[in-house]
Amino acid sequence: MGYPHKPHPKETVVLSQYFGDADARTYKGWVKRGGYEALSQALKMEPNAVTDIVKESGLRGRGGAGFPTGLKWTFMPKEKKKAHYLCVNADESEPGTFKDREIMRWTPHALLEGTAIAAHAIRAEVAYIYIRGEFTEPWTIMSRALEDANAAGVFGGIKVYLHRGAGAYICGEETALMNSIEGKRGNPRIKPPFPAAAGLFGLPTTINNVETLAAVPHIIKRGAAWYKGLCLSNPKSTGTKLFSVCGHVQRPGNYELTLGFPLKNLLYDMCGGAPQGRTIKACIPGGSSVPILTREESEATLLDYEGVVAAGSMLGSGGVIVFDDSADMVYQIMRLARFYAHESCAQCTQCREGTAWTTKIMERILAGQGKTKDLDLLLDLSENMTGKTICVLSDSCAAPIVSGIKKFRGEFEAYLAGKKQPVMVG
Amino acid sequence: MSTVHDTTEYQPVFVGKVMEELQTVLPRYPNKQAALLPALWIAQREHGWISDHIMAEVAEVLGLTPAYVKGVVTFYTMYHQHPVGKNFVQVCTTSPCNICGAEDVLKALLSQTGAGDAGATSADGKWTIVEVECLGACGFPTPVIVNDDFIDGVTPEKVADIVKKYR
Amino acid sequence: MADGLINLTIDGAPVSVPPGTLVIEAAKQAGVLVPHYCYHPGLPVAGVCRMCLVEIEKAPKLAIACATTVTEGMVVKTQTAPAKDARQGVLEFLLINHPLDCPICDQAGECELQDFVFQEGQARTRYAEFAKRFNPVEDFGPDVLYVPNRCILCTRCVRFMDDVAKEPVLNVSERGDRAFIGIHPEARLDHPWAGNVVDLCPVGSLLSKDFLHKARAWELDKTASICTGCSQGCNITLDTRDEVVVRVRPRPNLEVNRYFICDHGRMHYKWMNRGDRIEAPLVRRDGELKATDWDEALARVQGILRGASGKAVALVSAGASSEALALVKRLLSGFSWTGAFQIVMGEEAPLAGVPNLALRAERAPNAKGAENLGYTREYTQALETAKSAAVVLVLDDSECAVQTNGALIYLGTVLGEDAACRSAEVILPIANVAEEEGTFTNRDGRDQRYYQAKPAPGMAQPAAWVLSELINAMGLAVAAR
Repeated sequence: MGYPHKPHPKETVVLSQYFGDADARTYKGWVKRGGYEALSQALKMEPNAVTDIVKESGLRGRGGAGFPTGLKWTFMPKEKKKAHYLCVNADESEPGTFKDREIMRWTPHALLEGTAIAAHAIRAEVAYIYIRGEFTEPWTIMSRALEDANAAGVFGGIKVYLHRGAGAYICGEETALMNSIEGKRGNPRIKPPFPAAAGLFGLPTTINNVETLAAVPHIIKRGAAWYKGLCLSNPKSTGTKLFSVCGHVQRPGNYELTLGFPLKNLLYDMCGGAPQGRTIKACIPGGSSVPILTREESEATLLDYEGVVAAGSMLGSGGVIVFDDSADMVYQIMRLARFYAHESCAQCTQCREGTAWTTKIMERILAGQGKTKDLDLLLDLSENMTGKTICVLSDSCAAPIVSGIKKFRGEFEAYLAGKKQPVMVG
Repeated sequence: MSTVHDTTEYQPVFVGKVMEELQTVLPRYPNKQAALLPALWIAQREHGWISDHIMAEVAEVLGLTPAYVKGVVTFYTMYHQHPVGKNFVQVCTTSPCNICGAEDVLKALLSQTGAGDAGATSADGKWTIVEVECLGACGFPTPVIVNDDFIDGVTPEKVADIVKKYR
Repeated sequence: MADGLINLTIDGAPVSVPPGTLVIEAAKQAGVLVPHYCYHPGLPVAGVCRMCLVEIEKAPKLAIACATTVTEGMVVKTQTAPAKDARQGVLEFLLINHPLDCPICDQAGECELQDFVFQEGQARTRYAEFAKRFNPVEDFGPDVLYVPNRCILCTRCVRFMDDVAKEPVLNVSERGDRAFIGIHPEARLDHPWAGNVVDLCPVGSLLSKDFLHKARAWELDKTASICTGCSQGCNITLDTRDEVVVRVRPRPNLEVNRYFICDHGRMHYKWMNRGDRIEAPLVRRDGELKATDWDEALARVQGILRGASGKAVALVSAGASSEALALVKRLLSGFSWTGAFQIVMGEEAPLAGVPNLALRAERAPNAKGAENLGYTREYTQALETAKSAAVVLVLDDSECAVQTNGALIYLGTVLGEDAACRSAEVILPIANVAEEEGTFTNRDGRDQRYYQAKPAPGMAQPAAWVLSELINAMGLAVAAR
């Protein structure tokens, strides 16, 4: 649903069916709409059987990594020797992404139901839903929904708690999220050990994204074959995804599409293309941490995991950021670099120093003091920042830099040649 | 790196009902350290900001050291390390909102509230406005949070009403 | 893998190590030092500096050697272009905010940042146009200064206080390139073992106030020694400059003190440089002490010993070497012998994260050695016996308040104006622990050797030499077998 717009006929409405329907947020309203049937079904099944269904469906992590969800669940110990944990990643902070907040605002019980099914499948008795601190409205709505669900006793023995973040993008990284729940600085952990072996409080843990879990009740109820059948291109990418389209489009919003859907159709047919009189210049298809695509590249991209890789980027979180010809790519890339510099946790040398240095060079270019060798310097720093750190925040800072210089070099050179009015950045 | 110290005599926060509230939170976790973020939220709600005294009190209540608590507080941007205005306003200016006029919204808020610079508190003590990173509402530019109210779709034209409402 | 060891190759050299060994440790066996900062064998692994990135065949990315365990057949390469480029990248990033303080920084000459930059860094910086981050120096407590500008955020200090001292008084504050090592304003770094953070700091960010601007690292001579602060027997290095002890640092010994020493021991060296030493042998002539040479002094002692019989009492320091203590006993073997020592006691201060390591209550290094040789702690009784003893020999106990009708022989380093032992017949100047070689036995019965770091002043000689000379002259030497 291009919420706040009505669903476009070409959307595949599954997760977003009740977006905008205030009654669906209530426990009774959700039950009326068939809610919690999947959970009671799942609780009667063996945990492994639940996992098998999810595995068969082809559901992949919708937070950004795209890792097969059922497979991830199989990493948990089959024999229950210690406590198991489920963490729900509701830290949604990837620029361009705003889907999880809608799931929590409009269908909080869908998330709770998916959480409980997942907890059952991985034999977890406790689940923490980590909601970023800024999401005040989702927090209130989820709190109320949790109260009602607990009162109705739907969870069996599973305990679900909400845990509030406090302003750190990096806590969306699964190991940093665990550290944050443990009352520590949100530093990502070195792996191994992997969460399924030693995660939250050192115990076997699975971390799943909100959108991933919201799909689970549907898969249990309607079957793996149904979900697998929702596929327009590569059979390894099944199901629907909420694409958060924002920036220079006429109708921004969340659009639920079957994977494999053409990005061109999304941009023009559904979002109306660029505002009147302007043309799309660039598009980041999966949140700011993935390479930027040109208009031509975007128009040839199929929106599934493999398709976007083939186009030279990644599906990521599905946050589609659109830039039209009025956008200053150099300024926006600077702003993204600054985002990463603010959010770096400070552990790894390359990220801590590199994100800040990258930002400074970009600011200097904008101020009209850049030199041609600055572009080579930026590319070299980006290479030093890629593939060498505990987590990929460092690589994420490099992505817009490398793709930006490669595909929009002219805009950089205009600043270097003094052809553009310098921009003084604070 | 200087810290702002309370000049008034310190009143503990975790007493009475507030302590009771914390006691309902503790059982959710297998150890007290994990209750640190929730405890800090409670403390900030009660005290307005997290001072060195608050850090020491929270440390004592949870069996941690003040230095440890400080390390955690300074990591997370939503815990205020100094007093803020009656209205704490967060404006997103990351790229998706940036290309939709976020900086103009910020400028409008700064001038119409008298706050002046981002991060500073207005002379009448009513406003502190800060630039923040992506608030997860990119399709509804520009999102602005005033205290606990998350407002979608703010434009420079809408700023006057917001200022009027919260002043 | 028949013998349970894992076999791998590091830079072409075959290596066999127990399962669970980290690549960075296995590399040592191949004679390869993988450059690193945050890793330290005495601390939990952090993996944050990223300096130890190495290439591992068949692995898709470079891996950090400090957090990778060896596997059978692993092939590790540290000198390939990707690994060296990665390290050069890390060094460049570390240097952009690191001030060019070498000319005024205490760490120069023993700085790991200098070392690796020289070894494989770039000769120039590309960060020319920007200001470096600046924060003022902070006083963390009794002996430690923190210079944030030089800090490379390796977090060794934080991990030491958290996991080894188990007193989390340091933290990492803020985020990104604004981060620094913090301490709560009401806290001080006064833990009894906190001084180790200065040693652990790879750069000149954490500094010892005691050592501040005292000497350059390359001016120092380093000698292996044993701490005399208590009976734990921590292994130390005495750093001397121009024959003055200027600093004590821990020497690794996995069985005794691992990599650490306590602050009491760390500061327990200034007495080694005392100027008010006995510099010449003194004999009593015409009722007064007169300086003389060793021949006359030793002859006088011989005369005393040959002419006496009956009881002899040896009042010794628990800081004397085992050699000297044994030789005293041998020297007095013709007498009915009592040997005793008194020992200063203090509060014990364990290093919580290391088993069997503490600043011990017994504030002397060789009480066990003395006891093994038959000396007791019955000091008061010994003083009583000494009153009527024929010979009383005092070894390096300047506080000794003995009174005797017999002959008093004093071997020591200092002797105050009002000291009781000024009434001695003979006073012989000896070397202190920094001026001789010897053995101490620690509280666990471990014999450990210390070595000479500087010359003894004047005519002072090691006590063991003095006593052997006497023993040989008196024909009391044990016959060679």
